[in-house]
This record gives sequence, C-alpha cells and structure tokens, in this order.
Amino acid sequence: MSGLWRVLVDPFSVPFMGRALVEVVLLGALGAVLGVHLLLRRKAFVTEALQHTVFPGVAVAFVAGQSLLGGALLAALASVVLLHLLTRNDRVDTDSALALLIAGFFALGVVVVSRSHSFQSSLTALLFGRVLAVDTRQVVETAVLVAVGLVVLLALHKELVLRAFDPAASAAVGYPVGRLDLVLDVVVALAVVAAVRAVGTVLLVAFLVTPAAAGRLCCRRIPSMMATAAVLTAVCGWLGLAASYTASVDHGIRLAAGAMVVMTITVGFLVVATVMAVRQRLARPVPVP
Amino acid sequence: MSRPALVLSDVSAAYGREPVLEGVTGRIEPGGSLALIGPNGAGKSTLIKAILGLVPLPSGSIEVLGQAPARARSQVAYVPQAEALDRNFPVSALQVVLMGRYRRVGWLRRPGAADKAAARAALDRVGLADRGDTRFGTLSGGQRQRVLMARAIAQEARLLLLDEPFNGVDTTSTDLLLDVLDALRNDGVAVVMATHDLSIAHLACGDACLINHHQVAFGPIDEALTAERLQQTYGARAVVLAGGSTIVTA
Repeated sequence: MSGLWRVLVDPFSVPFMGRALVEVVLLGALGAVLGVHLLLRRKAFVTEALQHTVFPGVAVAFVAGQSLLGGALLAALASVVLLHLLTRNDRVDTDSALALLIAGFFALGVVVVSRSHSFQSSLTALLFGRVLAVDTRQVVETAVLVAVGLVVLLALHKELVLRAFDPAASAAVGYPVGRLDLVLDVVVALAVVAAVRAVGTVLLVAFLVTPAAAGRLCCRRIPSMMATAAVLTAVCGWLGLAASYTASVDHGIRLAAGAMVVMTITVGFLVVATVMAVRQRLARPVPVP
Repeated sequence: MSRPALVLSDVSAAYGREPVLEGVTGRIEPGGSLALIGPNGAGKSTLIKAILGLVPLPSGSIEVLGQAPARARSQVAYVPQAEALDRNFPVSALQVVLMGRYRRVGWLRRPGAADKAAARAALDRVGLADRGDTRFGTLSGGQRQRVLMARAIAQEARLLLLDEPFNGVDTTSTDLLLDVLDALRNDGVAVVMATHDLSIAHLACGDACLINHHQVAFGPIDEALTAERLQQTYGARAVVLAGGSTIVTA
C-alpha cells in the first residue's frame, strides 16, 4: 500500500507536479463539457482546424516579444470569425473554408517563423506542450479561460442541445442559430488557447474528443456523459503524470509528461469501450419480457 | 370574427438568389387546415420557411396570426419529418417534448415543474404517456413522429407547420396523428401540411394549395385537386384512373 501511495500521491507534493495536475483537471473539465457538445454536433474537426490556425498568432507574439497566450487567443478568434463569414455564403462549404483557413494561417506562421532564429525550442513547446513547466500564473489564466467557457456552455446548454438535435426547429422557434454556432466555436477557441501551453497543439484534441467519446459510449444522458468525460480526464491525467514522474525519477527513463497523459486518456477510452462491448454482449441473451 | 391564422398575399420566395416560388395567394382561418401539394423541389419547404420568416420575400407579404412571420414564431410550431433527425442523439422522448417549452422558459433558465407537466400531458395526448423515459431514437418511426407532434402541442402553438408528417409512419400512428390534428383544429389551431400523399391530404385538410414554383390552385380541397390541375402540377406523373380519381405516380 505504501508503495502505491509513493507512486500515486507523493509525486504531487512536488510543486510543479501539483500545478500540472491542477492544469490537467481544469482542461479536462472544459474539454469534457465542450467535447460532448462537439460530438453531438459532429464537429470535432473544428478543433483540428483551430489547433493549426493559432500557430501564426503564437509565432507573431513570439517574434514581437508579446504574450503567447494573447497571440493565440487573437489568432483563434480571428479564424473563428473568418470561418463564419466564409460559410455564410452557401457556395463555400465548411470543409473548404476550414482547409483554406488552415493553409493560409499556417503559411503565415511559417513566414513569420522563418524570420526568427530562436524559434526552434518554442516551436517544439507549441506542438507538444510543456505541462510540467506550467507556472502558477498560467494555472490561474487557464482557470479563468476554463471558467468563462464552462459558464457560457452551462448558460446555453438547452439551446445548444436543441440546435444540435433539430436545427430546423431551433431556427423555426426563433433561436439565432448562426450566433449559437459562433459562440460554440469561440469556446473551442478558448479551450484550444487554454490547452496549447500544457499539451501542445498536436495533443489537445485528446482532451476534447477522446473523453467525450468515452462518455458517449457509457452514458445515456448528456450531463452524465460530460461528468464521465471530466472524471476520465482527471483520473487518467493523474495516473499519466504519476507514471511519467516515477519513470523519470525512480528509473531514469524520461517520458514526455503531456504525451503520457494523452496516452493514458486513450487507454482509458479503450478500457471503457471494451467494458461496454463486453456488457452489451452479456446483456444480449436476456429474453425481452 | 378572430383574425386569420395565415394570410399569403402574392408571395414570392427566393432561396439564396434563386427565385423558387411566386404568386402564392390565400388564407387560412383558425381551425383551418391546408395541404401544400407539389412535386419535390416545387417550393413547399421554401413556403414553410417563408411562413417562419426564415427566407427573404422579394415581393408579396405574409401575415401570421396578424403579425409579421418573424414576430409570430412563438405561436408557430414546426414539425419536421422524424426521419430527418439523428436516431443516435442521446435524448429521451420526454426531453424532446420539453424542447417545445424552451422559448417559454426563456434564456438561462431550466424547464420547471409546470413545463414538465405540460410535456407529460402532451405525450399523453399522442398516446405515449408511458414512453417518456425511452430514448427517442429507439422508438418506431410513427412513435417518433407522435413525439414531435407532442412537442408542438407542448409549445401551445396556434399554427402548426408540418413537413411530410406521414412519411414512413405506420397506420396506427397515422390514425392517431389524424385524430390529434382534428382535436387541435377543434381547439382553433390552424394546420399547414406539406405532403405528396393525396389521400392523407383529403383526410386531414379542408383546403389545398397546389404549387410547382408558382401557384396552380388554392381553395377547398375538392375544387383544388382536379385531374386537370394535378396534371398541370405534376405533368405526366398525374394519372387519371378509370373511376375518375387521380393519382400521382412516383
């Protein structure tokens, strides 16, 4: 027991590990609620697009010596607004608009980066994140972004669910469907920006898509899906961070902490999927009364 | 005399820049019912969207319950085809019916006890009182259509707009839906129904509007649906049978 305690609890008495865990739990909470909405809307791909379009914002901020968070936020919001303006025209479909924005924004980022010589390490950090390097101020910033995102999603919960389920009826009773979509995308932008420093642009999709998919597999109701997803990220974040710490400190094997968290979340999803598949198989022979 | 439920005055409607529909004129009184009949792409759905105030009108005007369409939406219920909705969506039948209360509930608030009671009563009216907790997608096509009708009842609308409400619906549910529509009309609710099913139109509606990009006829259903006019609307697909009745082939 004490051995288990040493592996699972002790690491988090080290300040940077404690901060990393808080960061992951916060991101997991927003990722869970937002992820379920995205799943219901079948628009997980918007996350994929935004993770690329924040890149030039961060690059410009880096070269100009400004806050990377501010740069990412501006670029994310700009791309969301542009996406909406482009798709307003029926002749430009969402896929084309996203592809166009990803390429355009990414190219801009590369052009900016090519003017800078010291960008290499920052680029790695942007792509893969540095969850162990998160300082207290960054945790507070994440908490604020997560709180704003959660408040918006909880306030508009029933409207967003109706819009996802029956867009025609939603418009028919007078809901501003386009603006609801814009709000959801802005929250995605907030989540991407909040997550980018801790887990990087490549891995943040795991916080939004994987836990929500697991929740969807094992729950019937939307709020329980969201709760399940948040708990899954928190537990897997905890286990993943503990594992990477123990491997590194006790065994001298360096494992990227952010990637370990994402891997653990993915394993968590597979466990849920397997359990549900087995349960379904066992439930099948019961005769219907 | 109460104000008419719907007044269409020389309505033209456009979808994007393409004009889809022109010259639709007619009215429905409270408790009246209109079948919108025409081939696919004739402009039925566009006319329904126009009545909801969701497409621009290049010319003509629409008055819903004495108001502009966009202002009357809280009193208008739109009932889509059950087939158009995602069967995997995680909502129960009761939750779908509750959606009809959302505009009454308002922004930032959750449905209260009164809303839930209204939703249960509406489910009861369509004969599904015991299926409230069932997941919407696991119900049969007819039952799902009844749930959507219950949602419109819960909304307490004065005008119902139905888009092909009997597609893929079994006879039990069809009979039940027709009874419910009758009861609603007796309460003064007006009904507009887009359909390609002429027999359903005769059963459910007193008036008919035949359209194929322009209005071919608008009036009492027996006068509107003549063989000649059906041929004008559907071309060679309208076939006059030996008994004198006309059918429209697929």
